Formats: sequence, structure tokens, C-alpha cells
Amino acid sequence: MDEKNAPHIEELTRALGEVNKNRIRAEFEKLLAFRVPPEVAKESILRKFGGVQRTLKVNGLSANLKSFEITGRILELNEKLLRPQERGGEEVRGEVPEKSRDKSGCRSGEGDGESLDKGRKGASKLYTGVFADETGSVLFSSWKELPPAGEVIHVRNAYTRLWQNRIRLNIGDHSSVSKLPDSTLPSLSELARTPEKKLGEIGAADFSVSTVACVLQLSHRDVMVRGRQCHMISGVLADETARLPFTAWVELPGIDIGSIIRLEDAQVRMFKGVPSVNILKGTGISKPGSEDAEKLAFTFESVKTAPAPLKMEEVASRDGMFDVVIAGNVISVKPGSGIISRCPECGRVVQKGSCRVHGKVDGVRDMRIKAVLDDGTEAVSVMFSRELAEMIYGKTLEEAEALMFSDISKDAVYEDLRRILTGRYLAVRGNASKNEYGVSFVAESVWVPEADLAVRVVELLHRLDSLGAGNAQGLEDPNQGGCGQVHGPDYDSETADSTGGRGFA
Amino acid sequence: MLKREVAKRVFAREFETCRALEMPVRAGGEKASSGDLKTPNLLLSPSGLVLNRVFVVGVITELDCVGAQNEMWKARIVDPTGAFTVYAGQYQPDASIFFSTVEIPAFIALTGKARIYEPEPGSVFVSVRAEEVNVVDEEIRNRWVVDTAEQTVERLEVFSDAVESGSRDEELLEYLLEKGVSGELAEGISLALERMRAPEEFTKLLGVFVKEALQALEFDSENSAGADGDRKEFVLELLREMDGGKGVDYAAFLEAAVSRGVPEELVEDVVRSLFAGGQCYEPRIGIIRLVG
Repeated sequence: MDEKNAPHIEELTRALGEVNKNRIRAEFEKLLAFRVPPEVAKESILRKFGGVQRTLKVNGLSANLKSFEITGRILELNEKLLRPQERGGEEVRGEVPEKSRDKSGCRSGEGDGESLDKGRKGASKLYTGVFADETGSVLFSSWKELPPAGEVIHVRNAYTRLWQNRIRLNIGDHSSVSKLPDSTLPSLSELARTPEKKLGEIGAADFSVSTVACVLQLSHRDVMVRGRQCHMISGVLADETARLPFTAWVELPGIDIGSIIRLEDAQVRMFKGVPSVNILKGTGISKPGSEDAEKLAFTFESVKTAPAPLKMEEVASRDGMFDVVIAGNVISVKPGSGIISRCPECGRVVQKGSCRVHGKVDGVRDMRIKAVLDDGTEAVSVMFSRELAEMIYGKTLEEAEALMFSDISKDAVYEDLRRILTGRYLAVRGNASKNEYGVSFVAESVWVPEADLAVRVVELLHRLDSLGAGNAQGLEDPNQGGCGQVHGPDYDSETADSTGGRGFA
Repeated sequence: MLKREVAKRVFAREFETCRALEMPVRAGGEKASSGDLKTPNLLLSPSGLVLNRVFVVGVITELDCVGAQNEMWKARIVDPTGAFTVYAGQYQPDASIFFSTVEIPAFIALTGKARIYEPEPGSVFVSVRAEEVNVVDEEIRNRWVVDTAEQTVERLEVFSDAVESGSRDEELLEYLLEKGVSGELAEGISLALERMRAPEEFTKLLGVFVKEALQALEFDSENSAGADGDRKEFVLELLREMDGGKGVDYAAFLEAAVSRGVPEELVEDVVRSLFAGGQCYEPRIGIIRLVG
């Protein structure tokens, strides 16, 4: 048995370099004992310890990546003691107050020796902090002990998770961490500086940014936060790349709609993949001088106009986007569109007279449309509220209700919607967010875009000419009638008459 | 991730040349795991388009009820380059009901899945199995033609760039990805060059078809018809001027008209219609003369 496995183990050891050979052998034999074929066992061991790994930079991280390599500097390090609760052996982890090991008050490892040992008995330690390379910084959690803040480390077999709506770098039990010489990355102070970013560049990997933007909307609100009355300001910021929502928990004297502001160390929060800028006590707020403002690539006038339509694939490449415009054909009207009834308490859709949260309720009638819009580059699921639904459907809720009661089929409104909407070309403006089923979009407004076809045709003909597409021979001949279809030679004679056969298997 | 598949825009002429695509196992890539049962039947076009679901707007010109035991509709949907063959059977109830009531001809919009049927080697039938169908207006049809042309031209540009680069396979893939081309198209083009029969000739031909599709569109639309009317008037005026009762050399006339910004085809069009209407004749070869 041993001899037969020796080559496999040899191969695995070579591929996995740093992993102990005995450990590989133990894993391998365990799998074989369960009658796993050797080839499959090899694969799963390679996966477990991470064989060939991609090397990523911080700005290349996205949610739920598995086993990659990354190099960076630890900017901040905290440790948390997590203890499984004794009673009933439940695996619930209780948190013990954080003990800070920040760069300022970094204690050496030996001092903690005692508590470490104690901790190992029934509890595990979680190390959290900030990890950065020259491309950006990211929050991390580690189940392994890490060198103190300031050190450069190389992590193998790292993975990412979404935690509180943002990407978190995870260093788990199967990860390995090694220290690298200090000179491999820019210095701590350089990396710790808050990056200067355009709004369009802010993503889930940012947690603090500096930016210059224009205030597009602004409103004051009083909200209750943990039982205390708080005054807050919310609104929308814009520059030439994007628009983002913002909230301010401090007063913004002299700042109103149309002001251009410079923010330093503003906090970024994520909600449904859309970043929002948080202005807190520590955030530096200033107005750039008129000279600086002139150098900017945007003005209040330029950003307040409606954003230009994006290709859907562009929207799908982001986790979420705020206030964008897309346009495409209605490929499908989804079931659940039409007349619905909502819970008067919470607004959730009521099914069979019963709300998911409030039980039996008298539903309130409402109308909505869920449609799939597709522009050939991506498909996006778009939600239309009653107001917008009435607009594109061309019938009010009352008219639709009349139709529902006059027809025997309970799907009368849905069928009618499909007949009116399928195939139509619509443009929508609103917020996009990505989930496991693709991109979903909540429409704030909808319209039928103007057909700018003539302009596009001219441009396309021009592009075709540069590609060297001449007219077919027939068009060159003045004796042949019309400019309609002239068929060139059949490219593939067998398939030219594809109507001749049965096209399904 | 169970994402909805994109409905590709493709002209009939390109669609009918598609072939089944067996995805190669990609090493290390994220998509390598997608080789499970949920992978759709993908087709590959000679220009590198990878497709399964398509969205088509065209004219329904023929409709037959085929199939012995179960009702099965077979429709022909014409676009400016050719025709799509569409089927809808008992498992596509919505589409079947639609086909049983639609009046022919009509502009229709259709979403469906591409199907490929190969009864014997060398004989391939590509068709669409309908999912959703609806009657639409001409404006939506025209927009579809332009949208489809735009996406085809974009692809042809990448394809021609790929051919010019002279690289193949992995190297080509890298070259295209570097240029910001999507992974799917880069792979499609690389595979098309490797597997399809004469893809370069086809893409040249496709360019011509797209061009004709766009030109046909412009002649259809009202605005340009008005503009053309004016220009036709202008051509006639110019001919009268140059004719002077003695006739004019056709080549010289053509040159004069083109130099005044009138497209050659339009001049030919006008002259042809004058000939047809008996308003001018050819006293000698190459010379045209207005009657009266």
C-alpha cells in the first residue's frame, strides 16, 4: 500500500512545497481508506492545501474568491478572543472585548504568552485589521497569529468573504503566512494614507477615501440612533465618473446644493453593492478655491444633467451602481408582475392573504412589473413601481383591476402585460445591485429612448468601410434594379436552406 | 451562480452558420467549474460569437403546423440578411398559443434558444426554439437591425484585429484580453479561427451583408426618403443643365454629380428610373440624352 502511494505523495509534496509530507500522507491515506480513488484524492488534497494559486492584488479582490496568494503590509492589527459557550457544547462564539494591538501601542508577543495559552484551551483568537498593498487596502480576519502591524507578509491560500456588505480578506486554518523583507512594499506611512479617488473608483475594497465632488442633493433629517435623537444630512455627491449617496453626521456649514467640496478620510459604507460616503467627525471638509475648482473635470452644470446610458455588461461588472441609465429590449415579463396585494404593516407582498411577518392581514392592492431587460451584452432584472408600471403598461391600477375581474383567467393582467411589453425597447434610470441571480435594477424613471438610428447607421457604415466591406457585386452593376437585398455567394451551401429540415433533435 | 443567460443579437446569415461548441476545460480559470450539468448548449459562429439564447426581431412570413401527435409550429422569421427557422411545441405553450393566433406577415420580437440538429455529418440545421414572442412595430424592428449591426461590427473589428495580430490559441487569447476584449469573445474568436471552416472569408461576407442591411434600412425610413427625393430632384436638374439638348457623357455626368456630394448609387438609381420611364435614352453608348 505504502509503496503504491509513494509516487502520489511524492508528487503532492512537490506541488505543495511548504506543506509537511507526513500531513499529506495522513490526509491521502485517510481518503483512500474511504475508498476515494487516488486521482480524485490527489485533486482534493491539492485543493485543500492550494496547489496552483493565483496571485492577486488588493484592488483585484472580489467576494467569495478561493485560494489565492497575496502580499501586503499589515496597517492595523487587533485581536479578539472568541470563546465557544460552555453550556450544552453549543458552537456559539461569545466575544470578549477587543484588545488593541494597533501600530501605536504594539505589544510584543511574549507578553501575551499567558493569555494565549489560556485562550487555546477552549477559545480561539481572531485577528482583525487592515491589510494594504500599493493598489489599495482591505479589512482582514485571520485565525492565525500574525506578525505585528507594520510588517510585510505573504499569504498563501487566502480567501475572501462578504462581511457586512463588504469584502473581507480571510486567513484561515489552511492558509500559510510568511514574513517578507520590509523593502518589498511602500512604507507604512505611504500605504496608510487615505487614497484619493474619483467617485466611480470607490468600491467594496475601500473603507476610507478622500475625494472632491459636487453636492447634487441635500436634505436634513432627524433620526433615532440607539435611542438618541440625532441630526443627520443625507444627499447625493457627483463627479464626472459617477454619483454616490452620502450621509453626514456632522454639520456642514456653508455647504448646499451646487457646492463643490473636498473630503478627506471619509468613511465608505456598502449597501447592496453600492458604496455610500459617510462624513464623520474625523472627516476633513473644505471647499476648494475657485482656481482649483476650475481645474476639475466637472462643474455643477455638467453633473446635474442625466447620466449617459451604460452598456449592461458594464453595470454587471460592478457589485452595484447608484443612479445609472441603461436601455434594452424587454425580453421577458416575469411572473409576479401585475396586481399584487401588500401587507399594510410592512409593505411585503401578501400571498394567500397572509404576510410572511404579520400573518393574516387585509392586503392593500398595488401594481408592479418585474421585467428582464437585455441589450445583448447582459440581462438585467428591472423592478417597476406602480407609478412607472402604469406608465409603461398604459393602464391604471383601477383599469387593470377591472380587467382582472372581467376575465375568467386569473392571469389576465399578466397576459395583458406580456402582450403589451414583450419586445419593447425601454430606457430606465435607477440603482443596480448584483446578487446570485445576476443584476437587479430598481427603476426610478422610465422612458422610450429617441431613435437616433440615422446617426448610428452613418457611423456604422463608416466603420464597415474601414473594415473593408465593399458592396456586393450586384450593387456595382447599374443595370440591376434596386438597392435592396442582393445575395452574395452562399457561404455554406448545406445550411443555406436551413428551413428544409427539422431543426430540433 | 444561476445567472440568466444573455440574449445575443445576431443576424440570420450569421446564425445559420453556427456550429456546436464544446467548451474546452480551462485550467485554473474561475469558469472551469461551470462544466456541470447546467451548462447550456452553446453554439459558436464563424466570427467568434458564443451564443445560446437569442433575441430576434423580424417579419414572420411563413407558418406551418407540423408534428404528428403533438402540435408543433414552425415559423420563418426574416431579417435583412436571411431567415430564422423557429419552432414552438408543447413545451413552449406561450409561444405555441401566440403562433396559433398570429396573422402573417407581421413584425415580431422573439426570444429563444438556439438548437442544432445534425441528421448526418456535413448536414447541419440551426434553428430557434421559441420562448417568448410578441407582435411589435417597425420602429422596434429598425432598432434591432441597428443594434444587431452595431454588435456585429464591434465583433468584426475585434476579429479583424485578431487576424492581423497573426497569433493563435493561447497567445491570441492573451493578446485580446490585454486589449480589454471580454473573455467570452476572446475565447470564441480563438476557437473560431481554430475550428471553423474559412472564418475569414465568412466575416468579409458578413460585413457586406451588414452594410446592405443598414442601407436597406435607410431607404425605408421616411426622413431619408424625403432627403433622397430632394437629391433626386437635384440630379435631374443637373442632368438638364449638362444635357443642353445634345446629350451628355455618362461618366462625366456621374463625376460631376459625385463631386457635388451625391452618392454614386443614387445617380445610377435616378438614371435607371429615367430610362425605365422613357424620359431619357442612349443615342450612342455612354451618352445619355433627355427626351424633349
